[in-house]
Amino acid sequence: MKILVTGATGYLGHQLTLTLAERGNSVQVLVRNPLSANIPSHKNIVVFTGDITNRQSIKSAMRGCEQVYHTDALVKIFAANAADFYKVNVEGTQHLLAEALCAGVKKFVFTSSCGVLGTSVLEPKCENDPRTTGFENDYEFTKFIAESLVKEYIYKGLVTVIVSPSKVYGPGIETHPVSINNLIQRFIKGRATFIPSPGKLLANYCFIDDVVEGHILAMAKGVGGEKYILGGADISYSDFFKTVRSLSGSKATLIKAPQYIAKLFALLQWVQFIITRKEPFATLKGVKSIFCNKTFSSKKAIGQLGYHLTPLEEGLQQTIHFLKTQNNVS
Amino acid sequence: MYHKNYCLITGASEGFGRALAIECAGRKMNLILVALPGPELFYLANFIERNYKVEVIVFEKDLTKEEEYMELFKEVCERNYNINILVNNAGLGNTQLFSEGSIAFYKQQLKLNVVATTLLTRLFLDMLRNNTPAYILNVGSLCSFFYLAKKQVYGATKSFIYFFSKSLRRELENENIHVSVICPGSMNTNTSVILLNKKSSWLSQLAVMNPEEVAQIAIDGLLKRKEVIIPGSVNKLFLVLNKLIPASLKKVITNNQMKLLNAVPPRFRPAYIVGLSILDFQHTFQPPCT
Repeated sequence: MKILVTGATGYLGHQLTLTLAERGNSVQVLVRNPLSANIPSHKNIVVFTGDITNRQSIKSAMRGCEQVYHTDALVKIFAANAADFYKVNVEGTQHLLAEALCAGVKKFVFTSSCGVLGTSVLEPKCENDPRTTGFENDYEFTKFIAESLVKEYIYKGLVTVIVSPSKVYGPGIETHPVSINNLIQRFIKGRATFIPSPGKLLANYCFIDDVVEGHILAMAKGVGGEKYILGGADISYSDFFKTVRSLSGSKATLIKAPQYIAKLFALLQWVQFIITRKEPFATLKGVKSIFCNKTFSSKKAIGQLGYHLTPLEEGLQQTIHFLKTQNNVS
Repeated sequence: MYHKNYCLITGASEGFGRALAIECAGRKMNLILVALPGPELFYLANFIERNYKVEVIVFEKDLTKEEEYMELFKEVCERNYNINILVNNAGLGNTQLFSEGSIAFYKQQLKLNVVATTLLTRLFLDMLRNNTPAYILNVGSLCSFFYLAKKQVYGATKSFIYFFSKSLRRELENENIHVSVICPGSMNTNTSVILLNKKSSWLSQLAVMNPEEVAQIAIDGLLKRKEVIIPGSVNKLFLVLNKLIPASLKKVITNNQMKLLNAVPPRFRPAYIVGLSILDFQHTFQPPCT
């Protein structure tokens, strides 16, 4: 089957493309730079040059495809030009949806984020739960608008499904400066690691192989117009790093930072941004949400799609092994 | 005899109403949520019950229709729900020239903002009397203090709410029923409003608040029995400045807008722009849409 994947040079898109290609599908990937080292390579992968912000440039990549996985997005907390988020995450999605409809695509899976659902209160958040706080960053806000667009296209005749991964970790390429893999890497290298205080605050971590499989399951079984959380284990920051420590033997110190320290850090980053234009990865507005529980329930995906959760320990073991061997090679 | 009390919120399925519902649930109030038919209301009720461990009852009603709020009142009475807090939040906002609006739209707007608020308060008054201390929170708008083009009917309905609330407060004070009116400025209540707010000037952006933030101030103020609740320091500043700047000057500025800017000596321009932004209300205040 012919499949289009956007964002194939990203962490998730890369793994997804490889998995699809290995299963005998002919996968067309749309990339901005055809020379990028992050393009997955396999005999079943055909590379098209284009940019989702330019509708004309996606036409040829879309041609003949029955399925579209849209994983491409601008993923960061802050961009010097806030309009970039809108351009890529909203307009880019709009272009793909419109082209998919024209090209007669049978199903469209859109990769969103649990960030759209915000922080949790008492119980893990589910797909239909409302946010209890405003949007803290433009990434989450533009993903939210994109989700509404994706849902609208159901009424225009395109079968769309939304999947929302939480914090993804596991073997794969490094494309983001503050990924979970990166944090684990620094920790096992013995670097002191900051976690929010109290360390019992919860977050949700999903294993990349599960998320890739979740995408493929959503394409196969997902109901049009529905959204599925592709999460993993809800675990506290302390316990997460405790597990990493016991699996890796790392002796790194774990520092519990109170909110004001995080605010100070965000402020320094802001000052740095003003002076050097280096984009911050923490903002004052976003600090509060770091100090909240962010737990998510994958029950719907498990029940309706057959989504599988790799136990955290097993996933972390694979990840640590991957990161360690990767270190030795390079 | 012990009986449960409920807080009734109209227009609860989205925007400010939803934020009010979550805020009240966080304070362990049982809720009766009223909104137009649709799944959002049920999602919200389900979320609140699971996460705040309070009782939530939902009514899908169109409050522009007289028979529907009569039904609401009847059903609440029949099922013996005791209401001690009434939040009249449902409202219809808009920004358009008077000539652009249709007869049907203004009719809906007046029915919801004015008639439903008045009559629901009247219907539930006796019940509130039996559940003292009781509270009524009416949702007005900062618009009710300013005469704005494109907000003629909306602003007028909110002025009605303001006048109604303050007068009613004087009547009911002795009966241990406390009436408050909240007058929010622009809020990030829905997608299009957020996008619009992001495009406005920095000073206007400063005034924009998240509904969750405003909801907390609203319920705090209500329980502290405040008469008028103005959320946000920037909004308060707008109000004070509005009273200080003489009407004649406002007229001059709004009439000549940016044309005048060039005539102002450069060193006074920042002050002038601040003044202009304050007076350029059309861009500053987007009505909370429900």
